[in-house]
Amino acid sequence: MEFKELPPVKEQLMKCVRCGKCRSVCPVFAEIGNETVAPRGHVFMVQMLRDGTVAPEQKVYDHLTNCLMCETCSINCPSGIDIHELNAAARSYIYEHNPSLAKDLIFDTMWTNPAYLKNAVRMAWGAQASGAQSLGRKLGLTKLLPGDLPKAEKILTGIPFRSARKQVPAVSPARGEKKYTVGYFLGCATDLLNPEVAKATIDVLTRNGCEVIIPADMKCCGLPHIANGKMKTAQQLAIENLKAFRQYDLDYIVTDCASCSSALAAKNMALLLGETEHRDEARAFAAKVMDLTYFLIHILDVRPPANAQAPKVRVTYHDPCHLANAQGITDEPRELLRRIPGVELVEMTDANRCCGGSGTFSITHYDLSMQILDKKMDNIEAADADLIATCCPSCMMQLRHGVSRRGLQNDLVHPVQLLSQAYQMSKGSEMKAAL
Amino acid sequence: MDKSAIQKELLKMFGKDRMLSDALDLMYYSYDSSFLTKLETTSPYAVVFPRSTEEVQKIMQFAYSHDINIVPRGAGTGETGGCVAVEGGIVLDLSQWKEIVEIDQKNMQVVVRPGVIHADLNSELAQYNLFFPPDPGSSLMCTVGGMVANNASGLRAVKYGTTEQYVLGLEVVTPKGDIIVTGGMKSRAIKNVSGLNLTKLMVGSEGVLGVITKIRLRCFPKPRARGIAMAVFDRLDDAPATVLDVYQAGILPSGIEVLDGSAIKAVNEFKPHIKLPDAEAILLFEVDGNPPSVEFEGDIIKEMAGKRARLVEWSTDPKSMAQLWEGRSVTAAAASRVRPDVSRIFAGEDISVPLSRVADVLRAIRELGQKYGIQVVNYGHIGDGNVHTAPVINPEDPAEVERVLQLVDEIHLLAIEMEGTTTGEHGVGAVRRRYAPLEHGIAHEYMLKVKQAFDPKGIMNPGKLI
Ligand SMILES: Cc1cc2nc3c(=O)[nH]c(=O)nc-3n(C[C@H](O)[C@H](O)[C@H](O)COP(=O)(O)OP(=O)(O)OC[C@H]3O[C@@H](n4cnc5c(N)ncnc54)[C@H](O)[C@@H]3O)c2cc1C
Repeated sequence: MEFKELPPVKEQLMKCVRCGKCRSVCPVFAEIGNETVAPRGHVFMVQMLRDGTVAPEQKVYDHLTNCLMCETCSINCPSGIDIHELNAAARSYIYEHNPSLAKDLIFDTMWTNPAYLKNAVRMAWGAQASGAQSLGRKLGLTKLLPGDLPKAEKILTGIPFRSARKQVPAVSPARGEKKYTVGYFLGCATDLLNPEVAKATIDVLTRNGCEVIIPADMKCCGLPHIANGKMKTAQQLAIENLKAFRQYDLDYIVTDCASCSSALAAKNMALLLGETEHRDEARAFAAKVMDLTYFLIHILDVRPPANAQAPKVRVTYHDPCHLANAQGITDEPRELLRRIPGVELVEMTDANRCCGGSGTFSITHYDLSMQILDKKMDNIEAADADLIATCCPSCMMQLRHGVSRRGLQNDLVHPVQLLSQAYQMSKGSEMKAAL
Repeated sequence: MDKSAIQKELLKMFGKDRMLSDALDLMYYSYDSSFLTKLETTSPYAVVFPRSTEEVQKIMQFAYSHDINIVPRGAGTGETGGCVAVEGGIVLDLSQWKEIVEIDQKNMQVVVRPGVIHADLNSELAQYNLFFPPDPGSSLMCTVGGMVANNASGLRAVKYGTTEQYVLGLEVVTPKGDIIVTGGMKSRAIKNVSGLNLTKLMVGSEGVLGVITKIRLRCFPKPRARGIAMAVFDRLDDAPATVLDVYQAGILPSGIEVLDGSAIKAVNEFKPHIKLPDAEAILLFEVDGNPPSVEFEGDIIKEMAGKRARLVEWSTDPKSMAQLWEGRSVTAAAASRVRPDVSRIFAGEDISVPLSRVADVLRAIRELGQKYGIQVVNYGHIGDGNVHTAPVINPEDPAEVERVLQLVDEIHLLAIEMEGTTTGEHGVGAVRRRYAPLEHGIAHEYMLKVKQAFDPKGIMNPGKLI
């Protein structure tokens, strides 16, 4: 669809009165402090683009990408503007006028198909294992993504050798009486970077009466593409995902990745497919999608067995933007943690403030990303917790990097990992030791 | 001096990290929150980010010797185009200069640089049990420098007045590049009548006399308790009459807000769960102080409002206070969100009239809205007669824009006719400047002479205020 006709551009652009409230909440603005990065500045630039006052040039793209897509501005906008959607639409519009081959390669091929991406990650793993640490150069990624990849390669440390898909079956039967058939949307990052999370997800779901199916043809959720100006590819991926899940009779579609669940939720599906022939199917699909934490609390009402011997562990929780801002899910992950024997939930200040990771942002804007991360790490340190829990692989990667930059010891976990261990612990293993 | 020569000089002074000169970057400085700057955009020649009085002095001296306009800017939340270089020039973005220089707890004063955000200042002061009372709706984003330059206030102006009552002294860089200190070079006195009062002159001068680089403010002890009353009226005239009754009963609430029928409707359409009673007017009273006095004043307000109101509710419990206030807190947003294809705009939004004329003005605005076929939502600080009118239009429809500009002009003229003013708190800037001769008569000429004395070359924020 034409840029001007996209619903956010057509309906929301005019609503900005430039009151500037977004200046008070934007993590990027807090660091840079000038109007060129204020969210209302982005809205203004999108308008200039729409009106033809500025041309869809790389320079404008670079301005618009001084944004984490964390949606903090959108949820705080008094005029109800989805600023991140406007920004994403503009990025795509500019991108279409300036196709860069490198990006096509990475986002149209490598990052659409988990198998290709896996090969890239395997190469990265090879780079790590060989001690070369030159991920960027090995992959030639430096040329593909603008910015700071050579600096950022440390963020990608600790890539496991075997992906989740290699370790878990495509279909895991329910243990005990079956309640639901659940499609597990195994996102790229969980699959390749955090297979332990995937294993824990399947463990907890099957223990609670779910048959868990991982569709073979599932594709990336498309969020990295939206952020990188590849809305059309994201659309294609969404269509492919509809197809991949269509063949199963599923009660729910669940994912442990905040970014995936926000990409597959109704609002984003409507942005991608709302004006296409796939609208109705997309709506029906999105209606089944649930973030794992929400599903575990509201549908399964999981309650791990009481265990007086459970070791005491202080856990602080970081809200991923794509869960808290995009979906309003903040209580469920905390409630899960509270239900785990031995866990003491300690709140950090500004738990719902972006960690600066934001998918590829930490790679494209490394220094800025680290400034934002530093604020988060100050708050994490002040909370004095043993473990840091969060529900997004991108946040995990970023926070892990923060932990190592400061020489700290905290492990990063998804709440479902602690939950899975709590179940296993009824057989007596040590929670901390197992992590 | 041409633009690129100016940029080169500034680059030498500030370095590339503390200035903007790229054409695309400069576009972001073509707006503030005014409707005017949505219609017309002018970019400055350059933007710089000064961080010391000496830097401001250096740039002023440079500008003065080359006749270049200087436009001070805080957070750009003004509603008047005040911080936009409408006649070209260099913008000084002071919002990054956010140092709280000193909290003088013993003397209940605070010294700040101009870029400190209002809300940040108050959360810092709260640690000392102090606060800086003026409370603009833009508290989270506006700068104290911008507040002083605009003499900002807010809904608690009824009791606490406007910014000027709290400014004890200023450091100002004049267009010639002199650094002057008003209120006494060494003074920490709270009362001070020595000399001509340049502090008062600078407060509300909207950047046309100089750049404010340091601000000494008086603070107040933070009140311990609050209470909120809501009164619902079937007749519009009963609302101002009730306000008068409350005053005459010897009560000075910290805030008195009004929503007229248009605002009530907008709120209910935007957030149906709030369920404001359908009425001609709703008044909200806020009282603050110590708990017994809050209860005492609440009782009197209930009694006074009860004489005319269909319904009165009172609470001191934080949760139900928030509920009572919710309608008011979403009014501005509601105006933009009543329909998908419209937006509220900031134009004709700030007239102030005597209490005795408030009901007439609200009625007249409603009629003007009908005349021009424009929906208007009215709310405001009735306690001091400050009416915020939010015209709701499709800002991308040229015909509607033309009609709304006529409507706004009539609203401004109406205010003057009703013994009021075109602006109670948002200021004049570029949008209301043309009413200055009408509002001030011969006094306007004296204002121009004062301006001439400070700024003989007319380089300081031209096109604004007078
Ligand atoms: C949603 C919203 C609600 C608002 N509510 C209120 C309210 O309740 N009450 C109220 O009074 N106003 C209100 N305003 C208007 C505005 O926020 C205030 O006037 C505020 O004080 C402006 O501060 P700023 O830092 O944004 O100044 P800017 O908009 O950047 O500048 C305002 C003027 O001050 C000048 N200026 C700024 N800094 C300096 C300096 N250091 N030296 C000299 N001149 C300077 C500029 O040149 C300009 O003329 C509101 C605005 C919005 C968007």
